[in-house]
Amino acid sequence: MRHYEKMFYEALRIRMVEERIIEIYPSDKIQSPVHLSIGQEHHVVGFCNSLTMDDQLFATYRSHAPYLAKGGDLKLFFAELFGKKDGISKGKAGSMHLCAPDVGFMGSSAIVGAIISHALGAAYSIKIKGQSNIVVAMIGDGATEEGVFHECLNFASLKDLPILIVIENNGLSIHSHIHARQSYDLNDLLGAYKINYLKVDDGFDMDSIYEETKEIRNKMIKEYRPFVIEMKTYRYKSHVGVEDDFDKGYRHKREFKEWYLRDPLVTNKPLIRRFRKEIMDEIDEAVEFAEKSEYPHFEELHKDVY
Amino acid sequence: MSLITYREAIAIAMRDALKKNPSSLVYGLCVTDHTGLFGTTLGLEAEFGADRVFETPLSEDAMTGFAVGAALNGLYPIHIHLRNDFLLLSMNQLVNSIAKYKYMYGGCFEIPMLVRGIIGRSWGQGAQHSQSLQALFAHIPGLTVIMPASAKSVLDNYDYVVNKCKSPVISLEHRLLYDYVFESEECVSKTEALTSYIVQNGSDVTIVAASIMVQESQKASRFVKENDGIEVEIIDLNCITNPDIKMILESVSKTGKVIVADTGWSSFGVCAEVARIIATNSPEILKAPIKEISMAKAPCPTAKTLENFFYPDMGDIVDLIYALYYGKSDHGKDLPSREYKMRSFKEFKGPF
Repeated sequence: MRHYEKMFYEALRIRMVEERIIEIYPSDKIQSPVHLSIGQEHHVVGFCNSLTMDDQLFATYRSHAPYLAKGGDLKLFFAELFGKKDGISKGKAGSMHLCAPDVGFMGSSAIVGAIISHALGAAYSIKIKGQSNIVVAMIGDGATEEGVFHECLNFASLKDLPILIVIENNGLSIHSHIHARQSYDLNDLLGAYKINYLKVDDGFDMDSIYEETKEIRNKMIKEYRPFVIEMKTYRYKSHVGVEDDFDKGYRHKREFKEWYLRDPLVTNKPLIRRFRKEIMDEIDEAVEFAEKSEYPHFEELHKDVY
Repeated sequence: MSLITYREAIAIAMRDALKKNPSSLVYGLCVTDHTGLFGTTLGLEAEFGADRVFETPLSEDAMTGFAVGAALNGLYPIHIHLRNDFLLLSMNQLVNSIAKYKYMYGGCFEIPMLVRGIIGRSWGQGAQHSQSLQALFAHIPGLTVIMPASAKSVLDNYDYVVNKCKSPVISLEHRLLYDYVFESEECVSKTEALTSYIVQNGSDVTIVAASIMVQESQKASRFVKENDGIEVEIIDLNCITNPDIKMILESVSKTGKVIVADTGWSSFGVCAEVARIIATNSPEILKAPIKEISMAKAPCPTAKTLENFFYPDMGDIVDLIYALYYGKSDHGKDLPSREYKMRSFKEFKGPF
């Protein structure tokens, strides 16, 4: 299988997982908020393919794509969303706080800027131990407005740390447009911190994203310097939940269509046909596993507080 | 008899931390400068290297979150704040991330780390350099808060926390304690860390105290013993989040009378918490209402005259001991004179 096809499979798998969640959601079996990655799978698969298992990844609550792209287990994923004891975190995390330490997915936070500093500390550890790895913080465009983003850029550049900040720019923070929120130009801002920056205008272009991040990663493990990649992308669904919200007046369906009509996970019918069945079977199995798993009992409530 | 100051004990604890735990980092403002954070980190950068001992930018939020990633990778962060007031800039990381990292992920991760924050006091430290914020941190499940009140507490607790404890600990050190002198022999035998201690036994009144109030209580108890033969039992809470409840209840069962002495504000604070513990467990052991020693419910004023009203001292504690012992507030007894208080503690001159 060509590498592109491998990545396509991974991205389609995330898409189909999200679609299954949409199907299940009205049943109230997933009793927590979900922030779907639909529309934003491609670039995550692209950059995650350039990482090794020992490269750590920290993400925000929009965590389904990074969890799966980094190699998180699908059965544990559904069990976690169902609030079952076989979930990764025994149901205590839910959709917003996925993690998979075995494959270097070190957590996802609903405090979106916070994880940049968590990645910063991980990158410091890599540097002082002389390891050949990088750490990735995947945030949205909104998180760049947090003070901690600027604090982290400063420290990462000052101490030459191998941290890669991937900004998924879907142009929206909840329902607020980027032009209503930001006065700065990211390129100029990063220039002030002497941090290299790549802007990817098409988040669907998995192949280029993979090739470019592979090169960036190789440079980073040699030079121990921070890097920022901005991925232009588009959120198909509402900020939270499984609904379309084009009737709410804050964005136009036209924008969605511009992306959707050229979305490879929609248009590449031959590959979709080829992979669909296998993925569907895996999802069925994972959902069944989650259904059959038990709910956590009372003794779990006070466990792991300290 | 050899002596050790509270400051020296912290300096020893920091050096021991770097020596005994090769994964430990010490960082914060003034950690490597000529002040060495009030003399507690002097020489550490030269001895252990700039990777392990370093200054930080004025970025409390990022540098606290930094501890998460460092700890997840096996490092042991010791993050020091010149003033615990600056910890408010770390609050998001402490409360939203650090306190919950183990629980939220169902035990997949642990965040062993130590945060040291220093409570400034006196000589015009004012509203933003003198707060005692233990109650804010202690409220949060997942955070362990200690307030070491002696050189021994510092040595025992820091050694345990740095080398054995797997969870985040916040230690609030009182700046006024730094020059208190302790007998170093007392520091030899180890006591249990992260719990409370009996400082002295007595049968008439119990004082449950935190931080420098342990010292103030000892001074007050000497005074009432010398003058009236009153025997005061003093419990050093030490670990605010894990007080020895049995110890407190047993002591109050014996004396029936209790004063809670804290460096913070009383409502929703340590005084409220100790009162809650007694009231919800064995209210019947009380022979009189609980008395409190706490800061005036106002921000700390800078002017010395106002500051003197703001901070309670041993005289206020003596007053409450008499009130409890004689069963009335207008007990008519003489309180310690200014000269007596001066003798028992050489008044702080500043600046610091």
